[in-house]
Amino acid sequence: MHGNRLRAARAGVIAGLLALAGVAALPATADETCNSPYMGNLIKGQEDYLYVWALGVKGTGDGSDKLVTIDVNPASSRYGKVLNKVSVRGQGEAHHMGFTDDRRYLWAGGLDSSRISIFDVGSDPARPKLVRTMSDMPAKTGYVGPHTFYAMPGRMIVQGLSNTTDGGGVTGMALYSNKGELIAKYPMPTTGGGDGYGYDVAINPQQNVLLTSSFTGRKNYMRALGDLIKDAEAMKRFGSTMVVWDLKAMKPKKILSVPGAPLEIRWSLKDGDSWAITASALTSKLWLVKPDASGEWQAKEVAVIGDPAKVPLPVDISINKDGTGLWVNTFMDGKTRYFDLSNPEQPKQTYERVTGKQVNMISQSWDGTRVYIASSLLANWDKGGADDEQFVRGFSWDGKELKPAFEVDFYKEKLGRAHHMKLGSKAMKTAYGLERSATLR
Amino acid sequence: MLLAAAVAAAEVVVDAHEPDDTVPAAVTMDFVPPPAGSYALHAIMPAPDGPVLDPDGRRLPLSRFTAGKITLLGFVYTSCADARGCPLAYQVFRTVRHRAAEDAELRDHVRLVSLSFDPARDRPAVMRHYAAGAPPNGVEWAFLTTDRPRTLVPLLDGFGQDVRIEVDAHDRPTGPFAHVLKVFLLDERAIVREIYTTAYLFPEVIMNDIKTLRLEHRLQRKVVR
Repeated sequence: MHGNRLRAARAGVIAGLLALAGVAALPATADETCNSPYMGNLIKGQEDYLYVWALGVKGTGDGSDKLVTIDVNPASSRYGKVLNKVSVRGQGEAHHMGFTDDRRYLWAGGLDSSRISIFDVGSDPARPKLVRTMSDMPAKTGYVGPHTFYAMPGRMIVQGLSNTTDGGGVTGMALYSNKGELIAKYPMPTTGGGDGYGYDVAINPQQNVLLTSSFTGRKNYMRALGDLIKDAEAMKRFGSTMVVWDLKAMKPKKILSVPGAPLEIRWSLKDGDSWAITASALTSKLWLVKPDASGEWQAKEVAVIGDPAKVPLPVDISINKDGTGLWVNTFMDGKTRYFDLSNPEQPKQTYERVTGKQVNMISQSWDGTRVYIASSLLANWDKGGADDEQFVRGFSWDGKELKPAFEVDFYKEKLGRAHHMKLGSKAMKTAYGLERSATLR
Repeated sequence: MLLAAAVAAAEVVVDAHEPDDTVPAAVTMDFVPPPAGSYALHAIMPAPDGPVLDPDGRRLPLSRFTAGKITLLGFVYTSCADARGCPLAYQVFRTVRHRAAEDAELRDHVRLVSLSFDPARDRPAVMRHYAAGAPPNGVEWAFLTTDRPRTLVPLLDGFGQDVRIEVDAHDRPTGPFAHVLKVFLLDERAIVREIYTTAYLFPEVIMNDIKTLRLEHRLQRKVVR
């Protein structure tokens, strides 16, 4: 049964290896605008797939968290349709995910279960396969709630949100090899102004800087939002710092005061730029992080997002490839806003549109003409009743208007709550995967 | 004995004036790296082993070129023309080798390995020709290849070095292979301690890392005594 396939595989790989004269080393710069600078294999043309990490909902389909693959190539006959889904058995508060540096594997985390699911997306990008499940992060590190998965060469940084001791926000980063072995752990600083909290990770190799942000602990993020906001004491337990780390030494260099839970971090991708931007969720502001004239890293607020008094709750942000524009989703009012970043010291909102009754994640294609939006924030923070729309919506962007292109209704399709998204392409396959399979047979 | 002969040939001190080329790095190094010994280089993974071919076509285990010295290893192919790929790595290797040769403390404890991932084209004779561009300077630089893809693949996989191919809608290869440049720093026990890519391939950082491993080695010997 495997004979023909095996021969074809060998022929393809050997033919490919014969063609190595034309091998090109892809630049290791940032991925579709918001991934690790160590990731190669950028999709600068038309993406084929959108991988969506979805939270399971009891009574909806199999009820489990799952990785959903959507066809997003307009030229495909299955454009806007679900191609594949892989359940991981059980609900673990599926949240974020990240590719390994070689883009062969996608690591996906559960904030409640602290489980890390690793999917092979290199062998067949249209049909990811669950190849490993890791459940030992809490036991081995004391950290809970694997949030950000950030590729380093041959390694993966996993930023925790909480801890095994008290379920609060004091946490740390765990460093794994791409094979899933724990290499080291790095506690978030709790002295010198540090609150010990964690959320996102973003690296600027040119500056030897790793930048982290801060959110809240498990006791807060697993609590119903309506209850939480009435609890004044609990509301004090949100992060208010960002940390500038010496990347090489993996030691904190400076702690920046950024009140109101600074979340996603995006470095400008423009050559020569050395600034990052973030949005503080509770205070609804954009913050610029950059060195001052003396080389000292500083954070300063540079814009407000909507009316902070109404707590629009900015969540995900997406910077464009040349650092001149930023998408900001605000969860409560369901708006997608565009900020002109031509002058990052003074971002200006130039566009907004309601894209859903609740919106969280936003991703864009490399050229910025395609924008994808997902609905879910956290299982217990999502809205109720008719406002609890669960979807992935694709839009086109011509610089003036977001125009709807397709929608996948995650409830109708019995998929659950749509959270983090990553792009995939069938044009890139692991060249030696087939040969390796042949070797193993 | 064969290995000894190969190494001896590569270690003859001839060129004391090898140019320390200024390499246009893929990204600008806009920082002062932390001093050697002020940080830890964690054990990432053991280096894989398997048969390789030296420039004379002798079949030897890769471990003969990865253990016993601090080793900087990179995958190359001699026909690579992307300035940010193999040529960049080659220039960085030359710079590191030159600096190591000038450091009496490092010279005998550092090795460079360039391993081809184009076994079809990079036969041993081709690697021998390629190696001629790096005259001996006292620091070993091994130029290796493999006899076929099946021998190469476990090494690529073991190091986590990707090679990708573009395919058309019918799964047929359409374009050139592609890889992300990675360079691996191994300690004397052939454990990978650092991995560099185009975004972080700075000779100053590599030299500090090599010195950090040497300091660690000396400290360990002191403790054992």
